[in-house]
Order: sequence, then C-alpha cells, then structure tokens
Amino acid sequence: MKKNSSSAKQPNKKPQKKNARNGRRPWFWKLFLRVSAIGLVLLACWMVYLDAVVTSRFEGRRFEVPSRVYARPLELYSGAGVSSGALERELTLAGYRKGDGAKPGSYRRNGGHFIISTRGFRFPDGNEPRRTLSLNIYGDRIQGFSVSSGDDAAIVRLEPARIGGIYPAHKEDRILVRLEEVPELLPQALMAVEDRNFYSHFGIAPASIGRAMLANMRAGQIVQGGSTLTQQLVKNFFLTRDQTLLRKGNEALMSILLEWHYEKDDILETYLNEVYLGQAGTRSINGFGLASQFYFGESLKDLGVHQIALLVGMVKGPSYYNPRRHPERATQRRNLVISEMEDAGLIDSAKAARARGLSLGVSAKPSYSENRYPAYIDLVRRHLARDYKEADLRSEGLRIFTTLNPAIQYAAEYAVTDTLPRLASGDVGKALEATLVVTAKDTGEVLALVGGKDPQFAGFNRALDANRPIGSLIKPFTYLAALEQPDRYTLMTPVLDKSFTLEFDDGRRWQPKNYSGEERGEVPLHRALSKSYNLPAVRVGLDVGVPAVIKTLRAFGVVTPISEYPSMLLGSVAMSPVTVAQIYQGLATSGFNTPLRTIREVTDSAGGALSRYSLEVDQVADPAAVHLLQYAMQETMQEGTGRSAYYSVSKELTLAGKTGTTSDGRDSWFAGFSGDLLAVAWVGRDDNGPTALTGATGALPVWSRFMAQVPQHGFSPVVPDGVSYHWVNPEKQALTDEYCDNARLLPFISGSEPTQRVSCSGTLERKIRGWFEGLFQ
Amino acid sequence: MSRQGIFYVSMLAAFLSLAGCASGPGGSIYVPAGGTERAPEPPQTTEEKGETQVWRKSEQTESREPEQQRSSKPSYQDAGDALSPAALSLVREADGLLKRGDAQGAIVRLERAQRIAPRSAEVYFKLSEAYVAGNKFGPAEQFTLKGLSLAGNDTRMQRAGWLLLADIRRARGNLAGASQAEERAAAL
Repeated sequence: MKKNSSSAKQPNKKPQKKNARNGRRPWFWKLFLRVSAIGLVLLACWMVYLDAVVTSRFEGRRFEVPSRVYARPLELYSGAGVSSGALERELTLAGYRKGDGAKPGSYRRNGGHFIISTRGFRFPDGNEPRRTLSLNIYGDRIQGFSVSSGDDAAIVRLEPARIGGIYPAHKEDRILVRLEEVPELLPQALMAVEDRNFYSHFGIAPASIGRAMLANMRAGQIVQGGSTLTQQLVKNFFLTRDQTLLRKGNEALMSILLEWHYEKDDILETYLNEVYLGQAGTRSINGFGLASQFYFGESLKDLGVHQIALLVGMVKGPSYYNPRRHPERATQRRNLVISEMEDAGLIDSAKAARARGLSLGVSAKPSYSENRYPAYIDLVRRHLARDYKEADLRSEGLRIFTTLNPAIQYAAEYAVTDTLPRLASGDVGKALEATLVVTAKDTGEVLALVGGKDPQFAGFNRALDANRPIGSLIKPFTYLAALEQPDRYTLMTPVLDKSFTLEFDDGRRWQPKNYSGEERGEVPLHRALSKSYNLPAVRVGLDVGVPAVIKTLRAFGVVTPISEYPSMLLGSVAMSPVTVAQIYQGLATSGFNTPLRTIREVTDSAGGALSRYSLEVDQVADPAAVHLLQYAMQETMQEGTGRSAYYSVSKELTLAGKTGTTSDGRDSWFAGFSGDLLAVAWVGRDDNGPTALTGATGALPVWSRFMAQVPQHGFSPVVPDGVSYHWVNPEKQALTDEYCDNARLLPFISGSEPTQRVSCSGTLERKIRGWFEGLFQ
Repeated sequence: MSRQGIFYVSMLAAFLSLAGCASGPGGSIYVPAGGTERAPEPPQTTEEKGETQVWRKSEQTESREPEQQRSSKPSYQDAGDALSPAALSLVREADGLLKRGDAQGAIVRLERAQRIAPRSAEVYFKLSEAYVAGNKFGPAEQFTLKGLSLAGNDTRMQRAGWLLLADIRRARGNLAGASQAEERAAAL
C-alpha cells in the first residue's frame, strides 16, 4: 500500500520543481524576508523574556541592607541588679566612650559612681530622649539613680547594643559585602585571573572566547573558559551542569542585557556576593563574605594576601580545589593565582614569595556566620520565620529588638568555656560539647544561648537541634501528676524503692534499676525526687499511669510524639535544651506556661511596628501541686543530687532544680532556677558516645558556674492559696514539733496533711539547742 | 456583662495596687562573691575534686549522710513583691494611656513593668485590666490567675483578684466560674 501511494505521487514532483525554478528569486526572498521577520520578532520576544528573567534575578541578588538586630536595652533605675563591670561592658557594647560623661554617648566612672550621657533612642513604644544620668552601684545594685539633665524619670533605658545583621527573608544566613568594604586586592586579583578586560567589554569578550576555543581545540578537551565575570554571574544565577550551545547563547545574551542595564560596579558587587564557592551538605556557599567565614572563620576585610588568592583560585572549581579536602591541589592553585597577581603588578615579588610560603590558613571547622552570638541569632531567625509574615520580612532595613541580655550571655559563655575543659581529659574531654539556655523565669524571654563549647562558632546549634533523651529531668512531671491527687500523694507519702520486673504481652521484660544498684525499701516521695531514685519514680509513674505523665508533659509544652513505653518514665524521651527550658518554665512559675521568645518587637525602616507578640501566660497546672514539687526541687539543691552547686554558688542564693543522666553518661543534664532566671545545661558528645559524667558532675558544674556570676534574687515562691506548711515526722507519717528529731517543715495541700501527732521524744536540752540553732542560723 | 462593673473592679484593683506600694523592691539580691568586675575566680580544684572528679555511674552523691541530719529550710514567702518606684512609674504611665483609650500602649508599658517586677501581683492585675479594656477576656483571665498565684496571704489583694476574675468570667459567659470566684472573694 505504502509503496503504491508513494509511487503514485511521484509523477507530480517534476512539474512542481520546474515551477519553483521558474519563480525562484522573488519567492525565495519573500520567504527569506518573512522568516527573518518572524525570526527577529521571536528573537525580540526571547530577548524581552531573557531580560525580564535576568534582571529580576539580578535585582533579587543585589546588595540588601541587612535587618539590624538589637540586644535588650538595659533598664536603669534605683534597685536594678547590675554590677559595675557589667554596666561598663554594657556601655561599651552600646558604643559609649569613657570620657567626661558630658558628651552624649560618653560616661565617667569613679569606682561605683557613674555619670552617663545618653544619646537618646527611638524605641518602638516611644522616644527615650537624651539625658545625663547619675548613679552609684553598691552590692551589685543601682542606688541613688537620678537624672541630672533632661526629662526626669524613675526608670531610663540605655540605647540597645547592636548585636548583628541578618536577612530574615532568606532561610540561611547571608553575609553580603559592599564593594567599598572589600579589600581592593580581591577584585583586582579576580580580574587578573578571570577577566582582564572586565571594565571595557560589553558583557562578553569574543577575543577571549576565540582564544579559549583555540586552546580547547589544541588540547582536545575544555581547558580554558572564555567567560567574562558577567557571564559567570549569569551562569551562577541558573546553576546547572549542562553546557549546551543554546545555554551558552542564552548566557551570552543575558550578559549583554545585564551590562546594558547596570553599572560595572553593581555587577562586580553582585558577583562578589553571589559567586558559588563551595558546598556544605545541602547548603551552597555563595559569595566571598560567606566563603571567608566558611573557610577561614574570619571577616573578608581581615584576610591576608594568601587567603584572598585561595578564594580567587577556587572560583574555577570550588569542589576540585576544596582546601579542606584537597589541600595540595588548592595550594598549587593558590600559588598560581599569587603568581598571576605578581605578574599583574598587584603585589611585589617579596610579598608574593611570603604569601606562597604560608599555609592555607583554613579553619578546622566551617563557620556560617559573622554574628557575635550565632546560636542566639539562629533562634531569632526561627522565631521570625515562625511568627512573622514572609512579606513583612522581605522589606529592607528592619529593626529587630531581641531579648538577648549581653551580661547574661557573657556569663553563660564564660561558664561553658571555663568549666568544660575541667570535666574530662583525653579524647573524651576533646569530644565533650555543652549547651546552656538561660531564660527570664517569669517572662519567658530567652536571655542567653550557648550552642557549643566555642560560643562564637556558627555551626550545629545544639541548643535547638540536639534532641537527646532527658533522663531524670522527666521525674518532676511524674511526681507532679501524682501530687495533683492530694488524696493519694503528698510529699511524705512513702514510695517503694525496690526492684520489680514488668512483663509485656509480647513476652519482653523490663527491669528498671537505680543508678547505684542500691535499694532502700520505703522512702518518702520528696526524698525519692531530691535524690533522683529511679525505682520509686517508675512505680509512681505506673501508678498514676504513663498517659497521665504524658498529659502533664503535653500541658507544659512538649509537642513532639512521646512513646507510651514505660521507659519514658526514666526519660527515654528526647528533647532539645530549648524545649527543656520551655517545659521547666511552667515548673518555675507555679504552673503558668509562658512561650519562650527572643523577639520583643520588629519595626520597619520607617519605625512602624510590625505585628507584635505580647507576653502570654497560661495556667496548665494547679499552683498548689507545683508549689509542693518546687519544695522537692529546692531540696534537690540543698540535700540531693544538686547540692554540689553550692561549691560555686553562695548558700544565700536559694535555688531549685533537677539533674538528669542517661545510660553510660551519654547525656548530662541540669535544669534549674533561681528567683529570676531559669537555666538548662547539657553536656555530652556529638557522636552520642559514653562519658563518665552524670548530671551532677557534667551539666551541674556548668550551670552553677553560670549562676554564681550573676546578681539575682533567690528562689522563694509565694505560698499559693490552699497550701499550708506543717512540721512533720515523715517516717511516722505524723505531725510533730519543730525541734523534734527527724522533724521536717513540709508544704501540704490543705486537707492532705497528717492528722495524728507524735509528741517529741526529745528532752528540754534538745529543745534549747534547737532554739539556739534557730537563733544563730 | 456590664463594662461598668468591670471598670469598677478594675478601679478597685488599681486603687489597691497603688496604695502604699512605694516601698522598696522586695527580696534581697544575691551578690556574686567578689563581684563580676574581674573574670570570676576559677573554682577551687581541691574542693571540686571531692565531688565532680569522682567518676561513677550514679547520680546520687557519693557519701551516705546520716538521715537524722537537720533538714534544709525550704524558701518560700507569704506574699509577692511590692512594686518598686520604677515599676510604679511605668504602671502610672500605663494608667494614663488606658484613660486615653490606648490599651495596646498600656500593655507595652505594663510588660516593661512586669520585666522588672515579675513577682508582684499588682502588675498582673493591671495587665488583666488593660486586656479587659481591649475586650480580650481570655488573656485577662489568665493574668488575673497569675496575679492571684502571687497574692499569697494578702487578703486585700486576693479579694480584688477574685472579684476581677468573677467579672471577667461573667463577661466570657462562664457564670458558674464567676460565682465560684465571688464565693472565694466572700470567704476571705
């Protein structure tokens, strides 16, 4: 069939050909013109499309003004707790100079006496005008605060310290640089190596392309690229590996378009901020500012010749010349760049030789930020993304007022860096990491965050992302679930410290044990918690029911899934240190949850406030039951597993808290609070390896080192309605007299106190001794 | 629920909170040994060794102490802190804003007051009042409860709190809860 039909058509072909030949010229030109016209229109459309694509991409990647991040302003008033040293540090951080104290922005200090001339500051809630302040610091407290010039006020805020710049609309930390801030040598070297005629070409350099093609043909492979910086920038916008001719054509067109729209310096600046210089997992390292932090842990402006040369050399192949993975290749490439710089006359030969002789200067671990408080800023970014509209965050020059307290952060960093090296030596010591989260107990404001033993290093943020089993930190929630049933449990209820075996339906068995292996028979509930015995905790937990304990944890703010397996009663449930701080907030404030926050307010560049998140409180537990629990957590510090805190902290500072340890010392926890502060410390290894530490020997020393440095009020909860204190003899389960043997002053939910009374067997002599003890205590 | 009623109770709370609360800030402050002017002294290693350098798989302290040791004295207080003059000045500022109908501005001032006087019942009652003025009864109820948890044995403060709570609950349509709160106030 096919054959037939084709042969049937054959005869018609010849005459047609003839006709075409006859009218060849006009027909051809017509067609040519039409095709050309259509082609031109299509090309024009295509150019318009490319133009839109490339300019929008370029606009999105230009230098942006970062959002300014501020610490909390220091409140100055009579009675405020602040040491002279902390005040001076705070003033320095806020940009004050030591001087006569008369010029705005300066202060004068004479011992504990300060004269401060403030500059004034426009806060979101109103203006804080210029003033001259006079105050004395005595006993870490401000006294005699007065305003000597300017509007009188009982309380004044200092200007907040600027603690960083971030780009909240971007998921990752960017470090953008302005061309004028970049060391001159960098763009010069870049041009010498990559694009000598940058300032004279129009986006593409045909001569370079020709040269490159020739070289490539000679070598039989691609050895040279003729791309200009503009072409590289365009290529960087649409990172793909394929190098088809069509792509190359598009890139060339877009480069010409970019040059047509923008100044050379704009293109260069964007190139410096955009060029691909490495990969860290799923995250790409773009721009010299970030690369400088990533490879050297230093700011771009501080780099030496050899470091600049390395970065410039890496443009050609960031993974091939990765200095951490291929140091030899990278060194060769760097030295080549140094020679190019020398040939171009950018550096003299002595300088070049010196630079060639230096090691690569790469930091051991990559860093991603140049912010001074990277872990804290990381949490700020997450809170911004969680609480604010994306569109709002995209506007430039926002002002973000955070809750960071620089003095507390300083103390927290010191506690971690000072304590950690003392906890263990050798390989375990090297592998140890620590985190510390500090919040204001009653406001939920996160005051300080330390994400690792090198607090200024921006990397894995353990405070937020290390989810580790919490061990005995779970016990207060178990006992709280029990104490909420005052008809069944009081602080002196005897609980059994005796081993037992649970057998599950599938035949598996679970036999919990005490850490020490000892068993003590009956112990009162308060001591079972303060000494962190495991067996009574599991027994009480099983008695009130695992679901009741889970319900309590949920109420206090755990949102992740919790296994109902009974081992959760010994803390098999994993949480991050920040989550632990969140759930302990409710314990510290008599059962009121307060969401943790790092942001007080965000304003746009004109000072207009974006949506604001107010203080929230939410009662999640009976304050009476929590008060009882707080008693046992105070006992932990005075008689129980937390008492070594008082090696660092003065006895005057009353504290409450709980230790936590997981198997083989993999996690060492301490969570506790004073009257003002709540802090959670964690010590362990990133590889989850064993240590010889417990909560009391690892995290507690870090925690107490921190607490010891900060002026604050002791923990002294208000006795809630429906709670009364009684002297009791827990062994006899009876009321007794104050100075009897074994007498203990315990809080009871009204009606649950014992009814029988044991008379004191002590003699008058014992009573008299008791009175005097009381007198001289 | 009559707004007038709430206004009345709020004014009562305001009166109570401002009457005679200009005493000094409550509670003594802990002063770090040696101050924080210089870097804190490293812990005494000899002392530390006894406790922190003993490697063992136990959370418990090593030595078993005689059980008849004197029990530690729990720390507690019968009532919350009084407002410091600084906090009081912010509360007065908030009052002025409330009178001018700026509930949000008042809340910002009161949160500032709460930061420096977090254990004073009055601050929470005031916050509650500001939320009532903004018709936000949910947060108002919670702040009242928080204030009540700090009122301790101060019956004036407790009565003001319970009456405020009763009015807020009534405004939210929780009549049973309201009369319960009123009973608590009457029982004082």
